[in-house]
Amino acid sequence: MKRFAFFPGCLIPARHPAMEFAIRHTLGNLNVEIVDLEGASCCPDPIYFKSKDKLSWLSVAARNLTLAEDLGLDVFTNCSGCTATLSETYHLLKDEGLRAKVNERLKRIGREYRGTSRVRHIATLVRDEVGYDAVRESVVRPLEDMKVAIHYGCHLLKPSRIMQVDDPNDPNVMENLVTALGATPVRHKNWYLCCGKACQTEDIPSNMMHDLLGTVHDVQAEILCMICPTCFGQFDHGQMKVCKQFGEDYHTPPIYYFQLLAFAQGVPYDELGFERQRFKPECLRRFEESAESAESAVALPPGSGKTE
Amino acid sequence: MSETPVENPPAGDARNEDIVRVDFQFRRELAEKVEGNLASFCYQCGACVGDCPATTYSDEFNPREIMLKVLYGLGGELLVEDSILWQCTNCYNCHERCPQEVKPVEVIISLKNMLADLGIYPDPVQKIIKTFEETGRTTPINPAVDRHRAKYGLPPMPPVPMDEIRKLIEPRTSTGAAAEEGESE
Repeated sequence: MKRFAFFPGCLIPARHPAMEFAIRHTLGNLNVEIVDLEGASCCPDPIYFKSKDKLSWLSVAARNLTLAEDLGLDVFTNCSGCTATLSETYHLLKDEGLRAKVNERLKRIGREYRGTSRVRHIATLVRDEVGYDAVRESVVRPLEDMKVAIHYGCHLLKPSRIMQVDDPNDPNVMENLVTALGATPVRHKNWYLCCGKACQTEDIPSNMMHDLLGTVHDVQAEILCMICPTCFGQFDHGQMKVCKQFGEDYHTPPIYYFQLLAFAQGVPYDELGFERQRFKPECLRRFEESAESAESAVALPPGSGKTE
Repeated sequence: MSETPVENPPAGDARNEDIVRVDFQFRRELAEKVEGNLASFCYQCGACVGDCPATTYSDEFNPREIMLKVLYGLGGELLVEDSILWQCTNCYNCHERCPQEVKPVEVIISLKNMLADLGIYPDPVQKIIKTFEETGRTTPINPAVDRHRAKYGLPPMPPVPMDEIRKLIEPRTSTGAAAEEGESE
C-alpha cells in the first residue's frame, strides 16, 4: 500500500464532508493509505490571503509543507486552490533567496522548509500512483451510456510549468478518469473556461458561466464533472443565480469526481450527500436500480468512512 | 504608443510635455513584493490578452494595458477603490501564454498586495482574509460543521495552532507596519 500525506484544505472538510468521505472511501479501495497532517491550516487560499501579502502566504504554505516533510511523505490535495498554493510554493521556494526569507519566518516557530515533499492533486495521484486500470477494476456499477461533461478548472493545469500535470491545451486526465468509470466523457466547446469565482465583479462570472453551461447543454451531457470544490460551488449555487438572471434552465448537476467514483464503486446514492445540492444528479439512480437485481452485497453501512 | 499621433520633435529639442515620466518610485515599491518586478520584462506583445476570460467578458480589463501602466509607473490609476485589478479571474492563462515569463497574474496579485498596504480592499475579500487570520481557515467553522461531518463518520475539524500562524503572518497584521527587525527586505 502506498502512503501519502493528505492535505484536505478548508472547503471540502468544512462544507462538503461527503466529498471527503468519498475520497477516503475510494482511495481505500484503490490501496492508497491516507496519512492525516496534524496541525495543518488553510493552504492559504491563492485568491484572498495571497492578495494581501505574498510573503506571509508563502510562509504559511511552507509551514503546511513542513508537516508532510516531517513525516517523510509526499502530499496530495483535493482542491485545485490548495494545489495551486502548495505547488507554487514548492516551485518558488527552489529560489534560494526566497527560501531564506521564508525560513526566517519559519524560524520564529522552530520550523524549516526543506523542499523534500512533492505536491500532487488527487486526480494526478490516482493517474500516476494507482492507474486507470485499477480504477476501472474497482468499479462495480459501470456508468454505461452516461454522457459526462468535464470542467477542468484552472489550477489543476495552469501554469503548466509549475503544475506539470497535463497539456493545458489538450488535457486528458479527467477524460481518462471518467472513461474508467464506464461513462462517456464529452468535451464541450467552452471546456477551457474558468469558473469565475475569484473575480470580484458580478457580470464577468455570470456571463462566462452562462456561455459555459450553454455549451454543456448543447452536447447533452447529463452531469458536469469536476475536481475542485470552488468550481463546484460556482456550478451549483452559482448556476441557480445564472439561470434566474438569464431566465434559462440548464439543469446541469455538477459532481465532484470522487463522489462519482464512490458511487461507481457501489456506495448508495443516498449516502453521498447529493441531497444537499441545488442540482441533484438524480440520473445516477438508474444505475443503482439496474445493479440492485444483480448485486446486493456492496451496500455499506451509513457513514462508514473507512474500508477494512 | 500614444493615441494621438504626435510629430516627432527634432533631435535634441524634445518638449517636456511629450515625455512620459516614469514613476520609478512606484515600480521600486512594487518590485519589493514577491515577483512584483516581473513586469519589467514585458514587451507588450499581447499574448496574455487573447486567452484572458476577464478581457473576453469585460470592456475594461486588459492584462497588457495593466502591464503597460506598471511599466510607466502609473500606480495611481491602479491603486484605487474598486480597482480594475479585482476583475482578474486568477485563471493563470496569461501566466501560461507569456513568452517573457512575466506572469501578469502574479504582477496583478503583487499590485493587490500594495492595495492591502493602503488598506483599500473590497469588503468580501477583506472578510475572508479576516476569517483566515482569526481561525487559520477560510471557511468558518461552527458546531453544525462537525455534526455534518459526523454524518459521514468523519471526526470533528482538527484545531489549527493559531499561535504559530499568527507568528508567521505578523508583520502585516498589525497596522501594516514595516517588516520587523531581522527580516531583510
